[in-house]
Amino acid sequence: MADSNVLLRVEHLCKDFPVDKGFLAKHSKNARYVHAVNDVSFDIAAGETFGLVGESGCGKSTTGRCIMRLTEPTGGKVLFEGKNIAEMDKKALKSMRREMQFIFQDPYASLNPRMTIGEIISEPMVIHNTVPDKAERIDFVRELLDTVGLNPEHINRYPHEFSGGQRQRVGIARAFALRPKLIICDEPVSALDVSIQAQVLNLLTDLQKEFGTAYLFIAHDLSVVQHISDRVAVMYLGNMMEFSDWKTLYNEPCHPYTQSLLSAVPIPDPDIQGKRERIILRGDPPSPIDPPSGCPFHTRCPIAQAKCSQEKPELREVLPNHYCACHFAEPNPIKESSIEL
Amino acid sequence: MFGLGLKKRNKTDLRDTPIPEGHHLLEVNDLKMYFHTQDGVVKAVNGVSYTLDRGETLGVVGESGSGKSVTSLTIMGLIDMPPGKVEGGDVLYRGKSLINMSEAELEGVRGNDIAMIFQDPMTSLNPVYTIGRQLSEGMRLHKGMSKKEAMDRSIELLRMVGIPNAEQRVKEYPHEFSGGMRQRVMIAMALACEPDILIADEPTTALDVTIQAQIIELMQELQHKNGNAIIMITHDLGVVADIADKIMVMYAGSPVEFGSALEIFYEPMHPYTWGLNRSIPKQVQDEKQPLTPIKGNPPSLVDLPDGCPFSPRCPYATDLCRTQKPPTHTTKTGHYSKCHYSNDEQFVRANAPKVERIKPGDIASERGVDA
Ligand SMILES: Nc1ncnc2c1ncn2[C@@H]1O[C@H](COP(=O)(O)OP(=O)(O)OP(=O)(O)O)[C@@H](O)[C@H]1O
Ligand code: SF4
Ligand SMILES: [Mg+2]
Repeated sequence: MADSNVLLRVEHLCKDFPVDKGFLAKHSKNARYVHAVNDVSFDIAAGETFGLVGESGCGKSTTGRCIMRLTEPTGGKVLFEGKNIAEMDKKALKSMRREMQFIFQDPYASLNPRMTIGEIISEPMVIHNTVPDKAERIDFVRELLDTVGLNPEHINRYPHEFSGGQRQRVGIARAFALRPKLIICDEPVSALDVSIQAQVLNLLTDLQKEFGTAYLFIAHDLSVVQHISDRVAVMYLGNMMEFSDWKTLYNEPCHPYTQSLLSAVPIPDPDIQGKRERIILRGDPPSPIDPPSGCPFHTRCPIAQAKCSQEKPELREVLPNHYCACHFAEPNPIKESSIEL
Repeated sequence: MFGLGLKKRNKTDLRDTPIPEGHHLLEVNDLKMYFHTQDGVVKAVNGVSYTLDRGETLGVVGESGSGKSVTSLTIMGLIDMPPGKVEGGDVLYRGKSLINMSEAELEGVRGNDIAMIFQDPMTSLNPVYTIGRQLSEGMRLHKGMSKKEAMDRSIELLRMVGIPNAEQRVKEYPHEFSGGMRQRVMIAMALACEPDILIADEPTTALDVTIQAQIIELMQELQHKNGNAIIMITHDLGVVADIADKIMVMYAGSPVEFGSALEIFYEPMHPYTWGLNRSIPKQVQDEKQPLTPIKGNPPSLVDLPDGCPFSPRCPYATDLCRTQKPPTHTTKTGHYSKCHYSNDEQFVRANAPKVERIKPGDIASERGVDA
């Protein structure tokens, strides 16, 4: 990828949360930490959709929040258009926020119930003073409502008067109000029913085509991420395990974790589902407070060897533009097997 | 469900009575259950019909609020009446009506002959009792086991559902278990009395896919061993493709289509089923298939549209659809659809999603039905 095209670069991002509350506990030598994000690096190009998948608690959302600087990273760098966001002053940060918007998982909790949807959508324009004239702003909001498939006549209604899918459209209209270059979408469709989910996914795709916006698309649903993404990264216990373009990742996954994750997703086709070889992982993911030595996946990995518990595998380029963090990664899916713990 | 005083039952279990000739293990016939609320009448279960036999798995799919949970709760007699009221239809378990059963009789059936795993395991486990005590309670109540017998069996059950260190863990409390382990405890609890029918309401929705795969494998293994029937309620079409023999598709309180899994996936008849099929992202080899969403939102159950409940969102709706309730069109294999045009073969052929099977074959003969 040509460097000039890079919109966002994440370098060795780390985020630890202290487990124990209170000043003394936090500063004691034995203070314990949740290692939520551990040395994560990737780039997002202008106009592309970069998918981040993984199971609950793997650090996907924390990665998104660190990028937005909604939480301070404990290590590493986030560069937006080449500028380190940690070194930005207030003014630079404000203009960066204009270019980078957020869409949240929960359309119920993320909209202020006391504001009309017109006020909600125009708020970013007021904060950033992009459309100073009120009448013009209202016209613009009506246009946005129309774009996201809501009735412009409903501009004075309140969030509770809308369904979940419609509220998510309000959130999308708000995120697009400033025509940002990047939108971080954190589980934007996981609270929605399939028929409504498809409406919202299509809307996101259409808006991207129209405005050239890049997405960081965070979700646990592998089929949804595959559908919307150009490139996909898989996280486990705060670590980046594998990433590549969507086609390669889904058809020729190298990492045994990606392979087992994909094989666990039930496919809505009884013939295929009945014939598939499946890798059933045993046990639960380990705690991020006390992650395993070596490879974070070695306690559940069907092909782990002695080296895996001793040495942490680096993310390496196993095939052109295909990165994988496994000592023994192979492009072919591993055979059905299971390990007892 | 828990914390009931222990009453020993001395009646024989209903599941030991043979299924009368001409009946199925479970038969739901045009069941209607409405909630009478201040906002009006919520038609939560509006004409549900299906049959289920031993060893079979029924998948119940549909969007949020379509009545999947309430239907099963009605069958179990777990709906508060009022506000709920059964307005019509019947539920026969081994030929015996559950709707007309006394509460005392029903109590003997619940958790014993028919057991349920609830949507949220944390709300159905009692936080102040140990896992062992909660597992034992049902067995002491229904099976008349002693405390010691029930505790030994609890340990055995935990082991069976794949919880390591079971002797130790029976003494722990629900909060000491992870989400996946709690769900396994719920399964152990539901299976404690070796039920005839296991109703699982979204048992894996809150879990990660790798844990979901473990739970589904476990439920299938146990079904294989015990021969029980399963009713699996889910919004995930992948999960039903994985385990269901039969599928009921619900919309706005009614089943719109019911058939074998192969019929629902490969020969669907109802426009809503088609819409669901076209809304889900499919794992494709090379190209992404565009999604075709169903426009609009589901109707309110208080104010159902006239005619077909799907008509405001259906791309094929006609004036007939908007004014007349569609009849139930049933094929000779028992596959049914509630749409005015399901008996129009040409309409169905022209508009159903084209699904290419990797294993082409005649669905009717696969089910052992003479075509
Ligand atoms: N006690 C009650 N009083 C009034 N209405 C109720 C009551 N319980 C449920 N309902 C309504 O009955 C309808 C069916 O609800 P149900 O819980 O069965 O849906 P579901 O298909 O299981 O949805 P989900 O996928 O969200 O679990 C809903 O409209 C719900 O609001
Ligand atoms: S009856 Fe009419 S509106 Fe209802 S599903 Fe059939 S075609 Fe559509
Ligand atoms: Mg439910």
